[in-house]
Amino acid sequence: MNGGRVLVVDDTPFNRRLLIRLLADIGHSTVEAADGREALTMLRDDRAEPVDVVLLDIVMPVMDGYETLATLKADDALRDLPVIVISGVDELDSVVRCIQMGAADYLPKTVAPEILRARIEASMSQKRFRDLERATVDEQRRLLATIDRQRSELSRFLSPQVAALVSSEDGEAMLAGHRREITTMFCDLRNFTSFSETAEPEEVLGFLRAYHAAMGQLIVEHEGTLEHFAGDGFMTFFNDPVLQPDHAARAVGLAVAMRERFAEIASDWRKRGHVLEIGIGIATGYATLGRIGFEGRYDYGAIGQAIILAARLSSEAGPAEILIAPRTYAAAEDAITAAAAGERQLKGFSRPVEVYAVSGMAIAEVGT
Amino acid sequence: MTLPTLDQAAFDHLLEITGNDLGFVDELIDTYLADASLQLEAMQVAASSGDAAALVRPAHSLKSSSANVGAMALTDICRVLEAAARTGDVPDALERVADCDRAFADARAALLAARAAR
Repeated sequence: MNGGRVLVVDDTPFNRRLLIRLLADIGHSTVEAADGREALTMLRDDRAEPVDVVLLDIVMPVMDGYETLATLKADDALRDLPVIVISGVDELDSVVRCIQMGAADYLPKTVAPEILRARIEASMSQKRFRDLERATVDEQRRLLATIDRQRSELSRFLSPQVAALVSSEDGEAMLAGHRREITTMFCDLRNFTSFSETAEPEEVLGFLRAYHAAMGQLIVEHEGTLEHFAGDGFMTFFNDPVLQPDHAARAVGLAVAMRERFAEIASDWRKRGHVLEIGIGIATGYATLGRIGFEGRYDYGAIGQAIILAARLSSEAGPAEILIAPRTYAAAEDAITAAAAGERQLKGFSRPVEVYAVSGMAIAEVGT
Repeated sequence: MTLPTLDQAAFDHLLEITGNDLGFVDELIDTYLADASLQLEAMQVAASSGDAAALVRPAHSLKSSSANVGAMALTDICRVLEAAARTGDVPDALERVADCDRAFADARAALLAARAAR
């Protein structure tokens, strides 16, 4: 073990000289103090080289060993510094008291070098271990704080689920890409283009702000993963990255809540002469999910036939209509009230698709 | 039982733990002699002013360093005096400090004689 730095605190010059000599013989450097107060001043001096072990006499002027020990143990920065009490042969009671107060060990005043070496090294290893432990805990705390901060910053830009995924254990594998069945919901507004042409730009922005805030809140409440917002439309999906066995019913539940909420917003705007209506499409199916984009700008996205289908259904939907694909209907049938709304010929789909129009939830809404 | 003025074993122990560095042990003894005089002065002041509490620390200090150099008779007188001083009442303090002075003079003479004889 490398030599440490030992502070010898003793009012008797004989004892200091002898200990300093013995410590030097076994490879330790030393500093000395003639009483407790002097010792504390040295230990608290930030510019001084740190001390590894304190050898402390008990009976001293100005500040004795007990008070010094109590002060050290009450000081967060010095608490872990090992203190070895130096005692005379007839001072066993005092030694016991010091050990109870937190002294690491004790030594007689004229100690054999082998014993001095062994005790000092034992105390130094203990301190190194404690320092390491403390440094590790500090580092962990710092890392956790950083991760927390990153996660909370990320969640302002990304869906909270995606933000959580990025810092989770299986995040890398999930981001690299995986297949999963999801339910996707698209929604956009009828008449938005004409509204944005006729209304003042401030009005359009004011409307979008209120609309995004209201819909965003519902998406968070229903725990949907928002893939993107673009003007009047957005896409959100369920069952990824967080598994949601009731994903189809959840998506319909969100759509119904959005339709209701939108009706309130729209009635305000109708009074101002703008007729706006929401249309929603939902489809369930397998998709590939993960990091999509290019270096410098990636999104967490989904690719699959069901997503295109949801987008087409959203375009197909009339004012305040929620159209869902057969597979979504099959999965959520028990939880929703919907009626067949005929077969539709959709762009990009070779065969007509049977669709269902949702009137509401069958039971208490799922997922809230 | 009369304790010896000087116990050779203590000196031998010092020599042993310092790796037989006679020069250093002599320096240690000089340090002891100088410090002991200071402690005796402090005891004298305390005894003269009847301050028993102020006797405790110098008596303790002189006791422990005297033990280290093997001044056994002096160590014993200091031990008894320290114990009495801790009770807060030492009516014959001046007399006892005078005993310490005499015992120290003996110890000093013995230590220096031992050195001269080497």
